[in-house]
Amino acid sequence: MAFAVNDKKRVGEKQLGVLFNEGKVRRRREWRGIKDTLYDYGRWLYLLSILARVIIKPRNVKAMFRYRWFANYLAVPHMMDKFTMGLRDEPLRIVHTAMDFVVKDVATCIDNSIKGDRRTGNNVKYSDKCVLWDENAMTAAMMGFPTLNCILREVPTMFSANLLNQHSGLHYLDVAQQFGIPGDVCPMPEAELGVSIDDDFPVLGKCAVQVNTTCDGSLMGNGLIAKRLEREYGIPTFQLVAPMRHTEEDVQKYAANDIKKAIAFIEEQTGEKWDWTHYFECAKRVNQTTRNRVAWLEINSTPYPQFIGATFSLYNDTNYMGNCGRFPIFAEIDKKIMKYVTHGYKNKTMMAPEYRHRCIVWGVQPQYIIDMLNWMVHCWGVVPLTDMLSMVISEEIAEEDTPENREQAYYDMAWLTMNMIMRNHTHGGYKVLVDELWEYCEKMNADMVMMWEHMSCKALTGMHGQFEEQARERGINLVWVCHDLADPRVFPRQAIRDQFNQYMRTVMREEPLDPTIEVLPDNNAW
Amino acid sequence: MRDLMYLNYFENLLQEANNELIGQAKKDGKICVAYVCENTPEPLMNLGNAFGIRLHAPNTGSMDIATYYMTSFLCETTRALLERAIEGGFNFADCVIAPDGCTMINRCVENMELLGTMGKGNEKFFHEYMEIPLKADDNGVELLILQCKNHILKPLHEKYGIDVSDAAIRKAVEEHNRVCRVITEIGKFRKEEKPRITGYEFHILTLATYVMPQYLIIDKLEDTLEEIKTREPDDKKYRARLAVVGSEVDDSGFIKLIEETGAYVCADRFCFGSLPGRMEIELNDEEDALTQVCRHYVYHGECPRMFNMEKVYGRKAYVNDIATEYGADGIIYEQIKFCDPWAYEKLLGSTMLREDYNFPVLAVDRPYNISSSVGQMRTRVQAFVESIEIKKIQGGAKKWRLR
Repeated sequence: MAFAVNDKKRVGEKQLGVLFNEGKVRRRREWRGIKDTLYDYGRWLYLLSILARVIIKPRNVKAMFRYRWFANYLAVPHMMDKFTMGLRDEPLRIVHTAMDFVVKDVATCIDNSIKGDRRTGNNVKYSDKCVLWDENAMTAAMMGFPTLNCILREVPTMFSANLLNQHSGLHYLDVAQQFGIPGDVCPMPEAELGVSIDDDFPVLGKCAVQVNTTCDGSLMGNGLIAKRLEREYGIPTFQLVAPMRHTEEDVQKYAANDIKKAIAFIEEQTGEKWDWTHYFECAKRVNQTTRNRVAWLEINSTPYPQFIGATFSLYNDTNYMGNCGRFPIFAEIDKKIMKYVTHGYKNKTMMAPEYRHRCIVWGVQPQYIIDMLNWMVHCWGVVPLTDMLSMVISEEIAEEDTPENREQAYYDMAWLTMNMIMRNHTHGGYKVLVDELWEYCEKMNADMVMMWEHMSCKALTGMHGQFEEQARERGINLVWVCHDLADPRVFPRQAIRDQFNQYMRTVMREEPLDPTIEVLPDNNAW
Repeated sequence: MRDLMYLNYFENLLQEANNELIGQAKKDGKICVAYVCENTPEPLMNLGNAFGIRLHAPNTGSMDIATYYMTSFLCETTRALLERAIEGGFNFADCVIAPDGCTMINRCVENMELLGTMGKGNEKFFHEYMEIPLKADDNGVELLILQCKNHILKPLHEKYGIDVSDAAIRKAVEEHNRVCRVITEIGKFRKEEKPRITGYEFHILTLATYVMPQYLIIDKLEDTLEEIKTREPDDKKYRARLAVVGSEVDDSGFIKLIEETGAYVCADRFCFGSLPGRMEIELNDEEDALTQVCRHYVYHGECPRMFNMEKVYGRKAYVNDIATEYGADGIIYEQIKFCDPWAYEKLLGSTMLREDYNFPVLAVDRPYNISSSVGQMRTRVQAFVESIEIKKIQGGAKKWRLR
């Protein structure tokens, strides 16, 4: 049954179910052998130090009592334990290197948001150098503004908060629905709107840029949020367009022209000038990121994948979308990860006693059970080789500063924006959503697709029948796992795992590798 | 009031998507261009030997098969259209042009294509998908021109030999304007204190212009206009005059239901409506016709997908303008169930019209076929009408803009 068997002796805990009870956190820390336990504990302390450096500042203490979402960050160490469950050797180090940096990046975002926030930090000089940027968008059009701070205020308030605490978005969803938004729209933009209605976003920035990326819900939520920004806080907003049919030649000029307008808007509002030298430095780093990601995917195509799961996806989110080549530090992290990935591959390091299935994860992942992919490896020996959100760009952009490339740069920025994480597959026609999935299955030698069916994602569910019929025709095992993105009241965590469990038992007729984690008592956990 | 001469005729034709006039046009050797969204420039589908038909699925019952393909969370309009396509109800079409206006309508047409629901035996049959501007600006106009060239004019010319010259576009606009003029003239009677046409009758006439070959009904519409000019209105006072705003309404039963509560639908700001769907396109001789048509659609469109703030605020100002012009006492913001764009637009629109423009507003969602939820909807509308009456009695006219 297995396509790869781990011939190394597994050190430490073998049955991971012993770590769980009904509590908010684990019963105890995982025993991984002396070396790995010490490493993991050291990183755990490092995480606490990141949090301490944020919370020690009086303005952030003030913000913790002002903003409902702030307290979720107490659960950061617990979140990391979810990502590292059962891991040893290189995979453990890869996850820590990537995720610890993601945590640091979010912590910096929080600290910066509060620094300029009119209600707490109120550093006006700093705020005047900030541009609020839509979280659901690439920050490509900020690559030429080295002196400006790009603040993605939805990231700490909604996106990452829901990774930490499954209940973090519920209040905001209720607020939005009490205001009149129906319950069938995507909870992500809905909750973001709820934060705005509840007036729970930090207020800062000289101007704001919104983008129509991800979906109709995200597009439409912008109008309501912009109204508050403009009319209550006097922050002018620009709406940047990202065409839907991004693969078509006849939309590229339209998108590029609007990038030019966005840049002109930022220049006008902030008084800063576009810096081509800095832009092309960033472009080089974007290309390096692309090359690294493609290399990691190539290794994942072999029997010994190393950098996988939600960590892969979240690191890509942060690196492409939030960073987009703007900060050199990401290149250092990439290097460290590459070192571990290469070692792991050479050493044939595996995460579980055996790998039974090679799986592509498609669709949109639920935030509140982000550790599901790691669980699949340990419980069922199903390896998530890659996911839809990580399959972003594979081509490189112009990186030399020449007159021709300066014009090309607008097209490149537009192309990055249009091909943002997720929407490059959920929009642009069925070819990028359905046909490309089967191509990836072939390229990565996958025999299984785990389909996150985000029930409110209409771009995805609109192709439900096509996925089902075409998978059947191709003989691919397609597991539907339905969820509601950020609302665990609709699908609790175990209800999500049970969909996978049932498929593995009834269709695949298999027994779990670790039966102690088939049912996890984590409904009350953060 | 005395029944309109052609009302029953149009009502009967509207019972089927594949109505007998489409058959007649096909017998005349014409090419049927099916489309699904108001963002597609309509005159371009009525060029030369072609005639445009906006797809609708009257009397929809079960949507089980479409629900399998698209799940129960997709908007009922899109599921109804897919179901009808699978049933073979749109086999009259010679091509389908679908803008990526909203995700769900795009998915609907993609499923039609992948399931091969139309075009069997017609080698020339094609599906085309268009990008539609997201902002009302000149960049958007430029985009729409290119999209129309690549996804409407080029395939129509290459596949069916349709004349797509500037002269042909001007002629099509002229014919389009003739239809718009008649509908607008008829619509103006809704401003009267005692209107000579009901909202339901007006919706039937307007709907017919979208789903039937226009050249086959224009004479009947013009006769109807003449008839209405001398029509004696009922000597009754409506309980409330309402403007209906929102997502597409191709089910006249919804308008009828509202009017059965004693209200009068005086303005129709929705897809398949006349405001601004039946606004004339003005052409000059200095600029090519295609550019002017596209500019009209970009700047006069009221689709919520346009998300620049001038348009976001402008849409509410437009509703205020028409509600004022047509003497509305209140506004119904309606949204077809599971429609994302209108879910958000309904919220902001209803809030702004209430708070910034002082109109009483009812915000409702509704099924595609109102007959599946008559009781619920009637109760909501009745309560709204009563609330307007109470406001009038209590002197709320000072705060609210009541007549």
